[in-house]
Amino acid sequence: MSNAIIPLLLDSLASAALIFFAAVGLTLVFSVLRVLNVAHGTLYSIGGYVAASACLFIASRQLNPYLSFVALLFSAVFVAATLGPLIERSLIRWTYGKSEAVQILITFGLFLILEDLQRLIFGVQSFYEDAPMRLLGTTSIGGVVYLNYQILLIGLALLVVIGLRLLINHTRLGRLITAVVADREMAQSIGIDTNRIFILAFSLGVFLAALGGALATPTSGVAPGLGADIMVLAFAVAAIGGLGQIEGAAVASVIVGLARVLAIYWVPALDAVAPYAAMLVVLLIRPYGLFGSVTARRI
Amino acid sequence: MKLTNGLSALALVGLAASAPVAAQEKPASLGFGIFTFTSGPAAAYGMPGKNAADLMIEEINAKGGIEGVPVSATYVDEAQGAQGVIAEYRRLAGDAKNQVMIAALSSANCLALAPIAEQLEVPTVGWNCDTHQLLMDGKSKYVFRPNGNTVPEFIAYAIYLLERKPDVKTIAIINPDYAFGHDAAKIFTAALKALKPDVQVVAELFPKLGSPNYQTEISRLTTARPDVVFSNLWGADLENFVRQAAPRGLFTSSQVILALGETVLQRVPLPDGVIVGVLGDGWWMSPDAKANAETAKFAESYKARFGEYPVFPSIKMANTLIYVKAAYKAAMQKNGGKWPTRAELADAMKGSKVATLTGTTQTRADNDGLVDQIVGVTMKAPAQPFPVIGEMVRYKGDSLMPQAGQDPLAWISMLKPEFAKSLPKPGSYK
Repeated sequence: MSNAIIPLLLDSLASAALIFFAAVGLTLVFSVLRVLNVAHGTLYSIGGYVAASACLFIASRQLNPYLSFVALLFSAVFVAATLGPLIERSLIRWTYGKSEAVQILITFGLFLILEDLQRLIFGVQSFYEDAPMRLLGTTSIGGVVYLNYQILLIGLALLVVIGLRLLINHTRLGRLITAVVADREMAQSIGIDTNRIFILAFSLGVFLAALGGALATPTSGVAPGLGADIMVLAFAVAAIGGLGQIEGAAVASVIVGLARVLAIYWVPALDAVAPYAAMLVVLLIRPYGLFGSVTARRI
Repeated sequence: MKLTNGLSALALVGLAASAPVAAQEKPASLGFGIFTFTSGPAAAYGMPGKNAADLMIEEINAKGGIEGVPVSATYVDEAQGAQGVIAEYRRLAGDAKNQVMIAALSSANCLALAPIAEQLEVPTVGWNCDTHQLLMDGKSKYVFRPNGNTVPEFIAYAIYLLERKPDVKTIAIINPDYAFGHDAAKIFTAALKALKPDVQVVAELFPKLGSPNYQTEISRLTTARPDVVFSNLWGADLENFVRQAAPRGLFTSSQVILALGETVLQRVPLPDGVIVGVLGDGWWMSPDAKANAETAKFAESYKARFGEYPVFPSIKMANTLIYVKAAYKAAMQKNGGKWPTRAELADAMKGSKVATLTGTTQTRADNDGLVDQIVGVTMKAPAQPFPVIGEMVRYKGDSLMPQAGQDPLAWISMLKPEFAKSLPKPGSYK
């Protein structure tokens, strides 16, 4: 039992890191734009496809394999810079102020379009390129060999939490975002360009989703259908943490990761349902999630 | 008015009388509904099947088709789920041009389609239906399986393992969470316990089909420290598992058995010594396959077209088409050269023995197939840039199958160590 504690904790954190990247962008977009983007998971898988393609290109040209780390980051930047503003301006902005049902229908339509586009561009076969994972080697902890890449992911997830908090609290952009989140109309009336904030916030959400996909690719590859699977998990995390809460997403990712890992270690039959069972328990106790709160509805 | 009605009635009678004759005239073309995964993680296994079908149908048509009738295929993607697959099956079966269905890849879809095949009376050949549950009632008239089933497939691994590692004490299992994975776990464990009762199962994991990440499962398997890890993961799941497990040392800390390991030999650098097989005899490099000029030609054409050699799902599909073609020939020989009805075609499949690219397939009275089982271990080969299968054994198909109608798990539980000793040894198939 004691021998299993270190692997169990490490596995939970490694699992949580991957889930966190998918969930934090979703929750950020919701907090600023008040839109639940059902297509968020597809942006995650597009990030994965672009990163895998870039890494495969580097391998095929026999370039320095360490460039694949740069490729992972720039793939996410590329997806965010191209798709973020495009989707926000062409589609998402029409959903502002509309009912949740309309928002979900529109973003679900976007999900279907992006899934088909993805199939057209990348085909239906799985993509793999594990150079970043191989380059970092392994470490033995508690008698279990771990990929150093898994440990890197835990560190990166922590960096993203800290980075986002610094961005929100200590930069001009962060203060503008906070103002828009607090009161959109008031922010507009004092001269804040809310459209620009929406584009930036949505693109940041796309970046985080694409980064999650890109970082997951070296260990797990990318295949059609990945977006839908990760989306469901991201929703569970966002619900547990409280929609719109960055730290909430981080804590919820650890809870979901831990629930899944505990199930795999001791009750493997409950592996698939464990994250949703955790969600159910949290929502029964705190209906708005761990960090969420009831907000007064302005009329 | 009466005369008109009378003429109409006569015409109807005439039409009805001529219908059976018309059904037995050679059609302008022959359609097959072919069911496989062409998208999603399972496409890594399903697409080689489709590729093989494309190639074989082209070859059949280049030689004049089946008994002079050109063949065309309509592919159905099984990734759409059982409801969609059933709807597509019904739609295709409604078209008389489609005389045969080659369905399906997924055991779950095979089980869902079997009663519909019987209801619609459409010969349905399971090109990759492995679950032993498919033909257990022995009453099928229209559903056939020219491959082995999960019983001989996974008993073969238990016997091979005990020959290679007789001191095995503990095993762990990681299989996909559906009928194929659970059946395989039951059969493999039952066979091991029958042949070596002191074997213990220390971990049994069933991750969701299509899971991309196995890191936690790998940690769990490592901490359980089993002598043997058995898996029948397949498609992209298997590739992901191998890519994640190899650098974490699972292949060195335990003897790993990958029941469908041959499918990833050309894609993933599997270390030496992993027990792998082909769920049947469908390896393009087996001694029997190498001795067959037709197989060598097929393998080279496949490599030229698709960039890699055919994996065993490709061979299974090619063999299934050979089986269907042989059934047409047999049915027409039996009915005096007329084009066969669906019923005549099904009748011709029953009890048939057909030479395939890699051996023979014999259809029993219960429509189940008898196919040899090849098992071996991975090893490097100087002539190939990827690992190949060495230390092979080829078990006779009928030696690992219970009699028709016999409960497979009850039959397995009665196996004795002497039974395993009477079978060929690893390395004997050269």
